[in-house]
Amino acid sequence: MSSLFNLPEIKNPPVVIRASDVSKRFVIRKDKSLKERIVNFGRSRRHKEDFWALRDIKLEIKAGSSIGLVGANGSGKSTLLKVIGGIIQPNDGVVERRGRLAALLELGAGFHPDLTGRENVFLNGSILGLTQKQTAEYFDSIVEFSEIGDFIDTQVKFYSSGMYVRLAFAIAVHVDPDILLVDEVLSVGDEPFQDKCMAKIREFQAEGRTIVFVSHSAAQVEDLCNRVIVLSHGQIIFDGATDEGIVALRESFGK
Amino acid sequence: MSSTAQERSDRLSTLPFQTSSSSDESAIGGFWASIRELLAHRELLDLLIRRELKARYKDSSLGFLWSLIKPLTLLLIYYVAIGQFLGAARGIPDFAIFVFAGLTIWGLYSEIVSAGTMSIVSNAGLIKKVYLPREIFPLAATGSALFNFAVQMSVLILATIVLGQFPVSWNLLYVPVAIAIVLIYGIAFAILLSALNVYLRDIQYLVEVAMLLLFWASPIVYAWSYVVNAVDVPSWLPNVFLLNPISNAVLAFQKGMWQAGSETRLIDGVSILPQPWPADLDLRLAIVAVVGLVLLIICQRVFQKLQGNFAQEI
Repeated sequence: MSSLFNLPEIKNPPVVIRASDVSKRFVIRKDKSLKERIVNFGRSRRHKEDFWALRDIKLEIKAGSSIGLVGANGSGKSTLLKVIGGIIQPNDGVVERRGRLAALLELGAGFHPDLTGRENVFLNGSILGLTQKQTAEYFDSIVEFSEIGDFIDTQVKFYSSGMYVRLAFAIAVHVDPDILLVDEVLSVGDEPFQDKCMAKIREFQAEGRTIVFVSHSAAQVEDLCNRVIVLSHGQIIFDGATDEGIVALRESFGK
Repeated sequence: MSSTAQERSDRLSTLPFQTSSSSDESAIGGFWASIRELLAHRELLDLLIRRELKARYKDSSLGFLWSLIKPLTLLLIYYVAIGQFLGAARGIPDFAIFVFAGLTIWGLYSEIVSAGTMSIVSNAGLIKKVYLPREIFPLAATGSALFNFAVQMSVLILATIVLGQFPVSWNLLYVPVAIAIVLIYGIAFAILLSALNVYLRDIQYLVEVAMLLLFWASPIVYAWSYVVNAVDVPSWLPNVFLLNPISNAVLAFQKGMWQAGSETRLIDGVSILPQPWPADLDLRLAIVAVVGLVLLIICQRVFQKLQGNFAQEI
């Protein structure tokens, strides 16, 4: 099975992500202004609503595996990814990890429109955890991967949206993570560039990096993952092989 | 290829687990852990400060000159309106140096606090998507404020040299002390208010009003002697005045940079006595600094507690 997915054989892979009893509650406030808060003071319970985005998530992910995190809209996939990445703190439980983690939750999140592509490469590289020296080393390779060419010294506000995400993706894949969290960002650019991204992801898999995808595309998950976790209303309803996972996902839509 | 994968896996199995996120705040680490994390990100801090400075005047032809034009315009306004028309310059020797010294140190404080307050909200895109020690954003605002301060400070020093009023005395030692106090309080409030502003956007407007009020509550365009000598002012008022840590810092800065304030000068035949600097200014500054450091630690702790929910509240 592994050969099909281009995943390498690893003896005794260690656990790299461990989530124990993680719960996340969002409080939805209906009154935002000070006036409303004062007027509704004391009765505020009625103007608050609890919403469990994650409930008692237990999870272990081993090195070198590629996990598809799927579920209907609002099932908690992105929240789980953010909790793993440390961007959101849970109300209960702990997530532990080891190794270098990079989160591709949004391409070009740190780009400043007024700075040039070159300046943004260094800034974004640093945000993703590269030192200045490393970024300088990878710089040519980043520009080559992004196919930006001479536009690298143009302010990024003049970039087309395709150029923007290509440059962002090029930086992200040069970060050298042990664990990569990916949220719906693989469908960027034109078809040739998408193929290039996929090839890069497969290269990552072959190098034994752990990848956690959030995706709505069953085909993509089938194509890339060797394990699927299906979430519904903040709970794990399925955890196992890819083809069965897709079936479980389809079933969960009905609920 | 599979050997690379095996090597990576073997290396990972030797690493200890680290906490990615936890419901238990104490697991995230205390004050010193935060400092260590910030030190590990100092390269990024440097880049963020540069970004802020570069982006600010990117498409303007005068560029950095703008950061000087504003304080110089303020100087002109206060010099003409308050110094000449209202006659403050008749009681304050070297009025221009006096006002510019006050404006310079006040500008540092007000820019740190107001830019710092906005810093988390204006970096929402990053905070939602990437994990970084979030204190880095108010600190980046502080860094760019310090740069503007350095520019103004050089103009001030240049002016004192050109006018032959460069203060060659031990009073000069008050200058770094004043800057340190402004930095401590500025950073403390920037950290605290930036976090509160995420939950209640009224804070940013409140800060604007508060800064306006505090500007006139500090002896910047009027001298300390006016407060002490004002008729009908109850004798306890100057003491209340000195409870404001920034007033102490402004006084210390003026004592350092404004030589005429410590000498007897003649203006239009009237001799102006030296400023009645608060007698225990040194002790006050020491106390203000210690209180400020405690405040800084408290503000950082509050920030740490609030920052867990930034990504969802912004």
